[in-house]
Amino acid sequence: MDEQFKFKKLYRNILLMIMTGGLLFSLAAIIIFKPGASRIWANVLLNNQYFLGIALGAAFFLAVHRIAWSGWHTVLQRLPESMTTYLPVAFILMLLMYFGMHHVYHWSSFEGYDAVLEGKKAWLNVPFFFIRLVFYFIGWIALTWLMKKNSSALMNKSDITFHNRRKIFAGLFLVFFAITVSTSSWDWIMSLDAHWYSTIFGWYVFIGMFVTSLSFIILLVWFLKRAGYLKYIRPDHVHDLSILLFSFSIFWTYLWFSQYLLIWYSHIPEETTYFIRRIENFKVIFFINPFLNFIIPFFALISLRSKRNLDWVAIVASILLIGHWIDYYQMIMPASAGGQSVIGLLEVSMTVFYTAIFIFVVFKSLSKGPLVVKNDPFLEESLNYES
Amino acid sequence: MENKRYISVYFDDEVPLLQAVRKLIEKKETILDVMTPFPVHGLDKTLSMKRSRIPLVGFIFGALGAILGFGFQAWVFTVSYPLVIGGKPFFAVPSFIPVTFECTVLFAAIAMVTAMLIKSKLKPDKSFVAFDERISDDVFVILIDNENGKTTPENIKSTLAGIQTVEIK
Repeated sequence: MDEQFKFKKLYRNILLMIMTGGLLFSLAAIIIFKPGASRIWANVLLNNQYFLGIALGAAFFLAVHRIAWSGWHTVLQRLPESMTTYLPVAFILMLLMYFGMHHVYHWSSFEGYDAVLEGKKAWLNVPFFFIRLVFYFIGWIALTWLMKKNSSALMNKSDITFHNRRKIFAGLFLVFFAITVSTSSWDWIMSLDAHWYSTIFGWYVFIGMFVTSLSFIILLVWFLKRAGYLKYIRPDHVHDLSILLFSFSIFWTYLWFSQYLLIWYSHIPEETTYFIRRIENFKVIFFINPFLNFIIPFFALISLRSKRNLDWVAIVASILLIGHWIDYYQMIMPASAGGQSVIGLLEVSMTVFYTAIFIFVVFKSLSKGPLVVKNDPFLEESLNYES
Repeated sequence: MENKRYISVYFDDEVPLLQAVRKLIEKKETILDVMTPFPVHGLDKTLSMKRSRIPLVGFIFGALGAILGFGFQAWVFTVSYPLVIGGKPFFAVPSFIPVTFECTVLFAAIAMVTAMLIKSKLKPDKSFVAFDERISDDVFVILIDNENGKTTPENIKSTLAGIQTVEIK
């Protein structure tokens, strides 16, 4: 049971190579193709938000399972735990937006009089934007750090009070997260279309986050099993992960469609601009989005046998990771970069760069502790879990 | 002591129940039925039962419901009684989706319940003799076949020695 993930030299070198490659190609794309500043910064924002979402979704996964005292996830809880260690990195990367926010957030550099922006000024102003940003990140980092510290205390000291205390930390995180995930999505994505608003938007972004996070956990399980670890994760555990992936993909579609239907029905010009801009200029991206994120996972994961086949679920998870990247793309790009945005070398290489950073951080944190928690009262239940 | 047609073993928890089922199968006793107040994970597999085909019924009738629901609205709003509603086109797909979804759920749910009732031969006027009132309450029961007097309660008792049972009769 004392399995330890070794962050081999080979993995480290491959990741570092991909990281430098991604960075070099991004710089080359910037120098050769000379995209506008707003397109570059919109890409930074897109990847910040995407990988932050994966890390936050992992923290949500842990918190929601702990508050329900779920037993089945105990064998794999070190995986989402290591994913949450990306949050400090995301904080630094998000602070970079200070240098480029005027290129993507039109409200931040608008001069002159605009009645709508004037009305939103109490919320949308540059100092308060960064105060909120720091507040969100400090809250998320502190609470996930406390959760993680408590888990490792339970592992080392085998005292039941640490087990009972987990529920408190999980509850605190969930309350803080429930509010901040909505407000942060207004700040970072919805305010790109500063005149537009949608009350369901926070939920929509949050469920997208959770789906990407589940997909990443599944891919991590797949990779570690391929590398010879995690022998005790059986099809029963994969089954439960797939059920979550399946149901939250459907829930994502529900929110996507609700937002669309209400705006389509009421037909108010200041609301419909959001969809008109996306459907007219980004037709392929807009319609491929529900196809990748709903139709494919729905039919690919509907049967019991496909839910228990890890290779198959890993393929679906990769499709969903791409699908939700495209989802963020259609939220962010049309509003910030506008007509000049295409998926080109810059987009691909920058995402590759961020992916390498993310995987590097996760592997680094995973290699610092055992792959399976020790002394957990639920461990036995989880090892013998049957779904 | 007269031989009974059934021997029933009562438990108050799922863990001893599963242990007992495994042991009885090992001893080649015929288990007629296991009754539990809630679904017990792993019980179907231990009893080597075939997988239920209810999900297939649900899928087929759900798909049928989706097609019928969508088709009916399309027919009503384009052929039978076209109405201009809020300036939308007659064939307004987004507004059909909620009703299509509801039809899918309704058809799937009703078909699954009906299929279950037909398969387990339950009719509205069917009456039962309550074998033991606790069965429909909070106890776990294993029914063992003893039609030919092939075993005795004492036999079962010795097989299940060491497992926590409430009653064997």
